[in-house]
Amino acid sequence: MTDAPILEAIALDKVFRVRRKGAPHDIHALKNVETQLHPGETLGLVGESGSGKTTLARILIGIEEPTRGEVRFEGNAVRSAEGWRELRRQVQYVFQDPFTALCPTMRIGAALAEPLAIHGICPKPERKDRVAKMLGLVGLSADMAGRLPYQLSGGQRQRVNLARALMLEPRVLICDEIVSGLDVSVQAQVLALLVDLQGKLDLSLIFISHDLRVVRYLCDRVQVMLLGDTVEHGPTAEVFDDPQHEYTRKLLDAIPDRDHAARISKSALQYG
Amino acid sequence: MNETMLDTGCGPRPARRTGYLRRHEIGPGLALGGVLVLAIVLITLAAPFLAPADPYAPNLMSVRQPPSAEYLFGTDAVGRDLLSRILYGAQISLIVAGLGMLGSLTFGTLMGMLRGIGPRWVGPIVDRMIDIQLAFPYVLLAIAITSAVRPSVPVLIVLMVLSGWAGAARVVRAIALQESGKDYVKAAQIIGASRLRIAVFHVFPSVWPSLAVLAAMQTAAMIVFESTLSFLGMGVQPPTPSWGGIMLEGKNYITTSWWLTLLPGLAIMLTSLSLVLIGDGLDLRAKRLRQRAAQT
Amino acid sequence: MTAPLLAIEDLVVSFPSNHAPLHAVDRVSFALKPGESLVIAGESGSGKSLLCRSILGVEPETAKVAGRLDWKGKSLLNLSVAQWRPLRGAEIAMIFQDPTAALNPLLTVGRQIMDVVRAHRKCSRNEARSRAIEVLGTAGLPEPEHRLTSYPSELSGGMRQRVAIALALSAGPELLIADEATTNLDVSIQAQIVTLLHDLRSKLGVALIFVTHDLDLAAEVGGELLVMYAGQPVEMGPVDTVLADPCHPYTRGLLRSAPTARSSRRTPLRPIPGQAPKLGAVGDGAPFRDRCPVLISGLCDRSRPGWTEAGPSHRVACHRFEQDGRDGLT
Repeated sequence: MTDAPILEAIALDKVFRVRRKGAPHDIHALKNVETQLHPGETLGLVGESGSGKTTLARILIGIEEPTRGEVRFEGNAVRSAEGWRELRRQVQYVFQDPFTALCPTMRIGAALAEPLAIHGICPKPERKDRVAKMLGLVGLSADMAGRLPYQLSGGQRQRVNLARALMLEPRVLICDEIVSGLDVSVQAQVLALLVDLQGKLDLSLIFISHDLRVVRYLCDRVQVMLLGDTVEHGPTAEVFDDPQHEYTRKLLDAIPDRDHAARISKSALQYG
Repeated sequence: MNETMLDTGCGPRPARRTGYLRRHEIGPGLALGGVLVLAIVLITLAAPFLAPADPYAPNLMSVRQPPSAEYLFGTDAVGRDLLSRILYGAQISLIVAGLGMLGSLTFGTLMGMLRGIGPRWVGPIVDRMIDIQLAFPYVLLAIAITSAVRPSVPVLIVLMVLSGWAGAARVVRAIALQESGKDYVKAAQIIGASRLRIAVFHVFPSVWPSLAVLAAMQTAAMIVFESTLSFLGMGVQPPTPSWGGIMLEGKNYITTSWWLTLLPGLAIMLTSLSLVLIGDGLDLRAKRLRQRAAQT
Repeated sequence: MTAPLLAIEDLVVSFPSNHAPLHAVDRVSFALKPGESLVIAGESGSGKSLLCRSILGVEPETAKVAGRLDWKGKSLLNLSVAQWRPLRGAEIAMIFQDPTAALNPLLTVGRQIMDVVRAHRKCSRNEARSRAIEVLGTAGLPEPEHRLTSYPSELSGGMRQRVAIALALSAGPELLIADEATTNLDVSIQAQIVTLLHDLRSKLGVALIFVTHDLDLAAEVGGELLVMYAGQPVEMGPVDTVLADPCHPYTRGLLRSAPTARSSRRTPLRPIPGQAPKLGAVGDGAPFRDRCPVLISGLCDRSRPGWTEAGPSHRVACHRFEQDGRDGLT
């Protein structure tokens, strides 16, 4: 990638202070982590629980504050509340759990129109059309606007969450484990939708997942994290086919693999 | 995996809700409380038509008459008709309690929301205020205040708000804190919603059902509180009848004329009891409706 | 031929409703011998969890279980609490998706395991203790003797799931049911637990029912595979045979929708369109008909397909396969 990065994390440190059995002690969630997202690319953040990938993503959108380091958007450091407000017009975030990320008392249409109202983007009478258009874009029918979240299935809710994040026409979308709560067939629908939207809307994506199969499928570049450190990063194919770090290798070996398993089961594991 | 009805193991309930009450999850307690409160309110509104006599007109020819066909509830120490006084007293008692409830609920909700989603530094301040309020002997406060200013209905309502807001604030605080930790509040933040917007459009709707429960409970508490203060002579001033005041006037004759204290006491009890029935019923109804929503 | 431990035939779990009863598990049959494993694959609403619960007699109260459900030749239907006691936890044990739900947060790990040991076998505290250390070791918990005094909250998610497994193993069960037991765990821990389950089968001869929605993981676990859709079994056979040669349109759809360890964007995913039917909406036809690419109209919406042989011990319930064989599928 030769273009300048659109979103960058520079030397991020995050320390959580927790009190456990009296004495306070520090947990280093991130240790001097750097990340760069270039326009149009999909970056995968990979790692197991406690690796700091979600903390990193939350710092990038400003709902978590770093202990040290800074976030840069189009080369400029984001420091003020005004700066974060600006950033969030261009960078949006989709949460993992489709069941808690939607306000339970707000109708879908109102939830989708809200970003427009907040930023005063389009005149009130046109909002309804914009909402209907967006619902169509994520593959939902326009009559969904009148429903409440509990009337929707998990996959439909995740589509609504995507739609809401896209209402502001952001350039960057951060997706935090957005398919891990979904059934396999629904997961495929949402992944296909994401690929489709990325092409149509010229989005850059940060895709966080613990499922390496999904990351390999979707991402151009991966960053592998372990206990708050980046242990390896590079183009997806390179990292997956020729991992340099031992941890990456271990992680790749642990991926359930139907072809690999079939070979083993023929040789060693014949029961019954 | 995302859990559905089947995987969590809750099968659909056999759907046999046919009546209006069943469909809306209105239990027997809520229905009874509702009917009673409705009746009490209607009777109170109709007091001028129902009262057999002028509640202020003494009749020294018939003082402290026991209940009889002529005086259904008997008469008091200066011969006023007790039924009329209780009916007119209901107007005063219910209005004062209602205003006290509205005031304490409004203030309590504001404080609770402020604690739940306001800036971080207000948290400890609101918490301490609630602690102090809950530990405060407000009857003593009432005595102190009314010894400084003349007791009147506005003073009484201020006292009620002071005594009742913390209960509401605690409930609202708990819900607001719980909701504000959820992803959808963060999601609203990310699309740029202000704190006020999040409070009004996202968190408050979750608080709302509990406010209905609180309103019923608070009104019951306020009726008792008004009666207590009036009984202590610090509430509604004679000759205006209020339930506590009527009991105060009758307390000297408690050994000989039981009806002077018992009948207004029963009015207080019946009213607050039906309000509590409504409160509990609404609480149960909210739970049932949530369950039902979770099943579909 | 050893006799099967568990034999299930035409098992139906239904919920009463205003109209006809709603079948959440519809005519499932299989048998399991010691050391064998059965993987049940399906998505939410497929009835796989309910099926497992019914085996242990812990289905929801409103559910009605019918059919044959035999454990060592004796029926498990309509047992009393006293009749269940020597079976549940002792001969048949279950591991749930959420280990915190299976563990008491107020008791130490050791205490909980020892309680289970002593509930099912007469033995001294010391014997129970050494048994607890043994099962914790079997479950792959490092330094088991030090873990006895830990509380569940002091352990990580993976460790907690191992304790839950140890708890399930403590009474020496002959059948272990794992309901999405590795779904929320990191891949490396998931791989370790799958290895552990292999060991239990080969070393202790424990039979295993493994419920998952991940067909790659099913391949790692091995044994027989039962694919369920909307409460009905749609395909059954040895895991590697079924995955190498899936013969039901739903199984094929599932395999195409999940990215594998090697796929990239150049091989686009082909999701199954639509949504799984609601409980009771299946009616008489083939359960997959609304999303099926090779539907035979007039047949699939009228009658439920029976089993067709697709190979040795590989069976498929599909009208299209019955008519046209593999050529009929996309």
